Amino acid sequence: MAKREIPEINAGSMADIAFLLLLFFLVTTTMDKDQAYIRNIPKKIDVPLDDIKIQERDILAIRANNQNQLMVRGQVFSDPTKISEFVLKFYQTNEKINDVENNFPMYSTTTIALCDQNMSNLDRQIEEAEAVGNQKLTDFFLSSYDEWNKKKNAIKLYGKSEIRELSVQAHIRIEVQEATAYSIFTQIHNEIEEAIFELRDDECMRLFNENYGILKRRYAQDNDPKDKAKIDLLEILYPARIIEVKPKN
Amino acid sequence: MSKFRKEGRGGGPALNTASLPDIVFMLLFFFMVATTSKETDPTVEVESPEGTKTTDLTPYKQRSEIDFLYLGAPRNPNRAKAFKMGYALSLDNVVQATPDGLYSTNAVGRWKLDKFAQKPSRMTAPLEAVITCFKADRNAPTGLIFDIRQQLQDIEALTIAYAVRDKGNI
Repeated sequence: MAKREIPEINAGSMADIAFLLLLFFLVTTTMDKDQAYIRNIPKKIDVPLDDIKIQERDILAIRANNQNQLMVRGQVFSDPTKISEFVLKFYQTNEKINDVENNFPMYSTTTIALCDQNMSNLDRQIEEAEAVGNQKLTDFFLSSYDEWNKKKNAIKLYGKSEIRELSVQAHIRIEVQEATAYSIFTQIHNEIEEAIFELRDDECMRLFNENYGILKRRYAQDNDPKDKAKIDLLEILYPARIIEVKPKN
Repeated sequence: MSKFRKEGRGGGPALNTASLPDIVFMLLFFFMVATTSKETDPTVEVESPEGTKTTDLTPYKQRSEIDFLYLGAPRNPNRAKAFKMGYALSLDNVVQATPDGLYSTNAVGRWKLDKFAQKPSRMTAPLEAVITCFKADRNAPTGLIFDIRQQLQDIEALTIAYAVRDKGNI
């Protein structure tokens, strides 16, 4: 059989086809990412707790009304970018020395010995709960055991024998009304987030000589346990406890 | 006087365009990798507010651990009158009926549970960790968000996110 010569295929329109595909992808896709503030809703409790006394000094109430006016700790203003100053002040006032006179949350000292003591106590309680077979209680003790363990590791990483910790009850409370605009609501979150980021970033610079944002992004990519320990420490130093209060009708 | 150029014989050799498709394909692949598919337009008008120091939701999206909820004014202004404060909720492009219907029948809770049941099997996150992301218009009343939060709390879907347009992180 004689070999037949294969005629050359004209590839001139190949580029047109590729362009068509390219344009299709250009039109149907987008570059922008979804960005958001992630929050948790507290679990519903069956038995309502009452008689919890929280000192006024431990609350940073940020309020916004139907007319989108703002009030932080009784001070009325309209520029939302000021909120971060209040948040910074809330965290920093008693950070070095506790002063009973002012109206800001106290700091307490946590040592490794205290962590060890709590952990051994919890160990015993876990065994007791397991013996009774109370699963819920066991889980609760296990989670608080983990917390103390985390704290202990954080103090070790901190390089001192103790750590100054914000009062456990100190929290930021967002109170809005029914018709408060969503943009004001997110702006409040934005300001809180910025203030806490600033605090953690400064501390991160001081302790590890790197940027908190870079640290977090690296952890998101590599899941390095060393980075996790650093983030844990910074979160223990400056906890973000945010409560969003359902508006009353 | 200059000579006239001879006609016909002139012009350089034909330009070789054989590598043009390669170049275009390269561009094509770049865009395929760097972009994500556009979401369908919700039936309500949403103009997100701006914010900084946000969390990127792309990893959650890749693991399909996220559901989006749209809150805005209906595109048809006549319909807007039927809704509480003129704002409506769009769940998978279905604008929810009157607010009374929405609140009494617990539409959000049912929608969320439905979505959870339809998740691909590779997703392992429990219901309380699956994010419900609010995409609300900048003027939307926050009261509606808290109403929806209540329904999510009832079914123990406890992680939420407030979407904003990013102004740029450091």
